[in-house]
Amino acid sequence: MKTVKVLSFFFLLFSIGIFSCSKDNNTSAPTTPLVTKSVSDLVADTILGIAASGQPYGAGKYTFFSLENNAVVPSSDSATNKWDIAFRGTSIITNSGNSGPGNGGGFVFTGLFDDLKTIPADSTFKTDNAPSSYAITAGSNRGWYIYNAPVNLITPIPGRVLVVRTATGKYAKVEILNYYKGGVTPAATASDDDKLRKQRFFTFRFLFQPDGSKVF
Amino acid sequence: MFNRKLEEVVVTATRSERKLSNVAVPVTLIQQKTIRQSGSLRLPDILAEQTGLFITQSFGKGVQMQGLSADYTMILLDGEPLIGRTGGVLDLSRITVGNIKKIEIVKGPSSSLYGSEALAGVINIITDRSNARKLLADIRYGRFNTLDASLNGSTRIGKLSLGAFVNSNSSEGYSLRPNAVQKTVEPFWRLTSQVNIGYDFSERTHFNLTTRYNYEIIQNSITVQNLGSLVLSKGKENNRDLNITPTFSHRFNDKLKTTFRGYLSRFNAVQSLAVKDQKTDYDDQFKQAFYRLENQTDISFSDNHMLNVGGGYIQEYVQSNRYDSLQTKRSNQVGYFFLQDEWRPLKKLSLIAGLRFDANSAYASVWSPKLALQYRVTEKLRINASIGRGFKAPDFRQLYLNFTNIAAGSYSVFGSLVARDEVLRLQASGQIDNILPVFEKLTDLKPETSTGLNIGAQYDPSEKIKTRINFFRNDISNLILTDVIAFKTNGGQIFSYFNISRAYTQGLETEASWQLHKSFNLAGGYQFLITEDKDVLDAIDAGKMYKRDEQTGISSLLARKEYAGLPGRSKHMINLKLFFESPSRQWFATARAIYRSRFGTADIDGNGVINRDDEFADGYMQLNVSGGRNFARGIRIMAGVDNVLNYTDPENMPGMPGYNWYLTLSLDFGKLKSK
Repeated sequence: MKTVKVLSFFFLLFSIGIFSCSKDNNTSAPTTPLVTKSVSDLVADTILGIAASGQPYGAGKYTFFSLENNAVVPSSDSATNKWDIAFRGTSIITNSGNSGPGNGGGFVFTGLFDDLKTIPADSTFKTDNAPSSYAITAGSNRGWYIYNAPVNLITPIPGRVLVVRTATGKYAKVEILNYYKGGVTPAATASDDDKLRKQRFFTFRFLFQPDGSKVF
Repeated sequence: MFNRKLEEVVVTATRSERKLSNVAVPVTLIQQKTIRQSGSLRLPDILAEQTGLFITQSFGKGVQMQGLSADYTMILLDGEPLIGRTGGVLDLSRITVGNIKKIEIVKGPSSSLYGSEALAGVINIITDRSNARKLLADIRYGRFNTLDASLNGSTRIGKLSLGAFVNSNSSEGYSLRPNAVQKTVEPFWRLTSQVNIGYDFSERTHFNLTTRYNYEIIQNSITVQNLGSLVLSKGKENNRDLNITPTFSHRFNDKLKTTFRGYLSRFNAVQSLAVKDQKTDYDDQFKQAFYRLENQTDISFSDNHMLNVGGGYIQEYVQSNRYDSLQTKRSNQVGYFFLQDEWRPLKKLSLIAGLRFDANSAYASVWSPKLALQYRVTEKLRINASIGRGFKAPDFRQLYLNFTNIAAGSYSVFGSLVARDEVLRLQASGQIDNILPVFEKLTDLKPETSTGLNIGAQYDPSEKIKTRINFFRNDISNLILTDVIAFKTNGGQIFSYFNISRAYTQGLETEASWQLHKSFNLAGGYQFLITEDKDVLDAIDAGKMYKRDEQTGISSLLARKEYAGLPGRSKHMINLKLFFESPSRQWFATARAIYRSRFGTADIDGNGVINRDDEFADGYMQLNVSGGRNFARGIRIMAGVDNVLNYTDPENMPGMPGYNWYLTLSLDFGKLKSK
């Protein structure tokens, strides 16, 4: 937790650095410095038990999050524009399509978080059409994560950035950093029970652009 | 290791008898004496102690040569290819060393002589077919209730020579994880029998018939988690192979010799699993048949110019319920010819040019050329260089596999020739979520090919010291790997095979042996190895390969120096072997150490490559010792301990039990009687 805070501070400095650079380059510079924020241990339908099938199960509820306000949104507000993305296990939905009433959407970008300074003009924002397709592609090795069957661990794929259009049509970029409690992936040799109990805790960082532009 | 006074002769490198020192390609020769004194039982035991070879453990024990996977080394038994690979690997544990006269290992592509599979090299196991009158028995008992017994006899009646060999090998297996229901190695029993009949029509005309039958039964107990409870299934695996090899040779005169070889081989594998409380058993059957007729003619124009020409026809069948159904017979026909010209234009210089053409019914035809030269700088120093092409044909699995794993994520793997129809069939029944663009690229598989370069030198400063160094580089293209072609509505992935990958392996191998004293011989070897996937290198250079920081979880670009190459390869491998034999030859002892540095196991950070420290298995050293005494009347007693240091790594080296002791009693009945 301490490291996360220290890192947030570091990102703050770094983001200011980027901002100063872009100002020098005289592009469409934002008026206020953008700050990369970090979220730790966002609970995403954590495991309640192991079903008879051997599969773990949770309560089946999404955890809703507002990128604009950097805050968890109560599920009673799920039918509003107050949230932008929501997490349930490895499923990530956006406030779009049949997931919510918002004007959201998104896609998974291949590249580095810091290198993504402008959302490419030819990008296609997808919307959710549960259960067959999602803006943030579901499934192992298809979207943001890979399930490593031999060691029974879920790892975010390096070099993947979730580009999100928020419920109100603004833009943000999100990097999932870890899927396990405390931001620490259990060792490959840890027990399966340990691996199951500690999963579904999201650590991620994001940058929200409030001015509606696609420039970070 | 001893008695090098007689010039050693090898056949595998050129398909004709040549002095080892005159061969222009890297060849390792393992003599029966070394095998016996080392206390080896099965082929992998002795191969594991050779420089640059590593025994892999996936679908049985295979051998990694020059950094190439087990799939790419051809295994010959008396010059004929063994069949029955599972997942591309021929389980070398099926081969007993009890009747082996010598093993010849040729490194570098040898497809110019042997065709498909001889991409990394060739291992030729030459059995003892001497027709001296003898009867030998060996019995060995060791840890894990391992019992191995052999009987080997031969005789000669006029023009007829007869030989027979039988070996039984069994063990109760072992557990590296005491709490697991399933043993790491399950109990097994293996039986090998070989009968050899030779007849000399004249000094010039010989006929030989060898029949070998191998039977193997392995117990299986598998636990599967089903509906929250552990279900224990009992089963067995049954492998049978039969090889029949008639050979007829005639020498017309000093300059011309011709040999006809027939080869019939069948491999039959059955895995049956009886699931408790379930009426239907799970059965998996695999039947393979390989028939070959071949002629080789050797012409000597002069002492300095020799030509080998040959050709043959192969008919191959596979039936399996992994491919459609047992009733469907998949077949392949291959017609081939080869030429090899060996010419010594100067006293010091030998040149070899070889070429082979393989025409196949199931995939594209292949030309495999090879060039080799040897320059004898002085009596003591020889320089060798060779370059050749090797190939491995797509196997039946890659063409016809039709496999769906219901237990683990319900993924499917379809061979490239059946994938299109299978996916369209699933789509028609509404089971396909989406089809990926790569589906459109499904096409006939091409053989995997390599170009191999070997440059080396042999330097023997004295009778007692021999040294050898060899640089190698193999560039492999059209590697066949699986890729996802579609997703099922239930989330399961569908894979098929593509020629998608390119890689290289390169390294340096060096060996030395030193007759320290009349009774002591010290031998050592070292291999330095680098292997890399060229597509990964391209991705790194394009700035498209990422890694993830273990602490912060933040992604960054992967640098070339962080990429550790192909998994399962050690950068450094060292062996050091000390052999002792008392002047009277009554006592003997050996100590052999093998070291390998750490090797990549599996990707953990999600980028698909080995780059992080936790993605490696530790390096280790294995120390084996043995010793024994030859008594009068042909009695020999021997004892040994393999893996004295008791090294184990259940995760990555399941085939390596802890220390393993044994006692062997050998009898030579001929000597027993004569005294």
